[in-house]
Amino acid sequence: MGSSVSQAGAPPPHPPTYASTPPFAPAAADAADAAAAPPPKPHEEEATEEKVDYLNLPCPVPYEEIQREAFMALKPDLFEGMRFDLTKMITPYFALTHSVAMGSIEIPAQGSEVIKVPTSNYEFGANFINQRTMLMGRVSHEGRENIRVKHDITDNLSLKINAQLTSEPHYSQGMLNFDYKGKDFRSQVQFGNNGFYGANYIQSVSKNLSLGTEAFWLGQQRKSGVGVVARYDTKKMVATAQIATTGMVALSYVQKVSEKVSLASDFMYNQMTKDVTASFGYDYMLRQCRLRGKLDTNGVISSLLEERLTPGVTFQLSAELDHWKKDYKFGFGMALGE
Amino acid sequence: MASRPSLKSKPKGKGGKKATADDEDATAAATTVRLMKEWTTWTMKKAKVVAHYGFIPLVIVIGMNSEPKPSVFQLLSPV
Repeated sequence: MGSSVSQAGAPPPHPPTYASTPPFAPAAADAADAAAAPPPKPHEEEATEEKVDYLNLPCPVPYEEIQREAFMALKPDLFEGMRFDLTKMITPYFALTHSVAMGSIEIPAQGSEVIKVPTSNYEFGANFINQRTMLMGRVSHEGRENIRVKHDITDNLSLKINAQLTSEPHYSQGMLNFDYKGKDFRSQVQFGNNGFYGANYIQSVSKNLSLGTEAFWLGQQRKSGVGVVARYDTKKMVATAQIATTGMVALSYVQKVSEKVSLASDFMYNQMTKDVTASFGYDYMLRQCRLRGKLDTNGVISSLLEERLTPGVTFQLSAELDHWKKDYKFGFGMALGE
Repeated sequence: MASRPSLKSKPKGKGGKKATADDEDATAAATTVRLMKEWTTWTMKKAKVVAHYGFIPLVIVIGMNSEPKPSVFQLLSPV
């Protein structure tokens, strides 16, 4: 990545100049400086760099999705117990969902002992999605509600709302986002409860490299932070690096081995808690099933199998083995109508 | 009426000292800020309750009113 940065820095005869770029130029420079140190060197580099048109760079990935390829392989939706999901499409834009889950919930306990309590849950959801608007709501029988809203105000500006509401006072959360998508950059402003304010900006600096920065303020805790990210992607690989003043360092690398197989790895380090974890995973896409697995340095091995039995019927098997904690989870699920 | 934020009595200076014009302006500004904060808190509490109970019905109403319009039977039938 260092060599990539230098390549990107060397030849720009006509760097892109936009009305909104100048205010962020120092931040981008800081991002470049920070990115030069931690990002891992990509194992594969393009043999010949073609002439880059700096006035026609692609639009970068949104800041919050910088690691989305790694997330797909390394953070599958594991579960324990039985799960049944039913989706009923009333119109092509409107659907109702019913979900039943039975299993165990882990109770935070002292020491390394794992205490589990059997539990069950029913959730009802309503989804409406069209070209400009997405409304998704899920409410559980205990009164817990998840709300997601996305509305394109203009072609470039969109509004997003996320909320988790509970019946208990002071446990609800909400977040309001304004996303702006430019020609070769993206920016976002966030407002959350408990006095949270955040903003981020990500800019393409070459065909494969984009750099970004973010700042946030937690009013209730009187704390602020700054973070920088770098992302280098080609058709075959994606490498990302992220660092923040909260002491968090995150690196990830995903290699597409073939059309059906991806290998992923990531590294997380938190300077405050001295917590460090490395994970390695695979994502295997077969004709009728998808198999994902992961191994990390905490001794956890996990796997998720999703098989499409017929169109609209999906069978799921989930397993997670935590050998150090002697915590073993197995789950099976069925999804209809998706 | 009970749900409205209760207004505290204005803080008054000790003794018989008379407030100067500057003190009066500062007091008015402080009162305005406090009222704004209380109003914001009250509004957010009400918005949370409305969203909690009203969002799912809102999605259903919007879905039922969009093209192609489904019938109520389609909404209520299990399959």
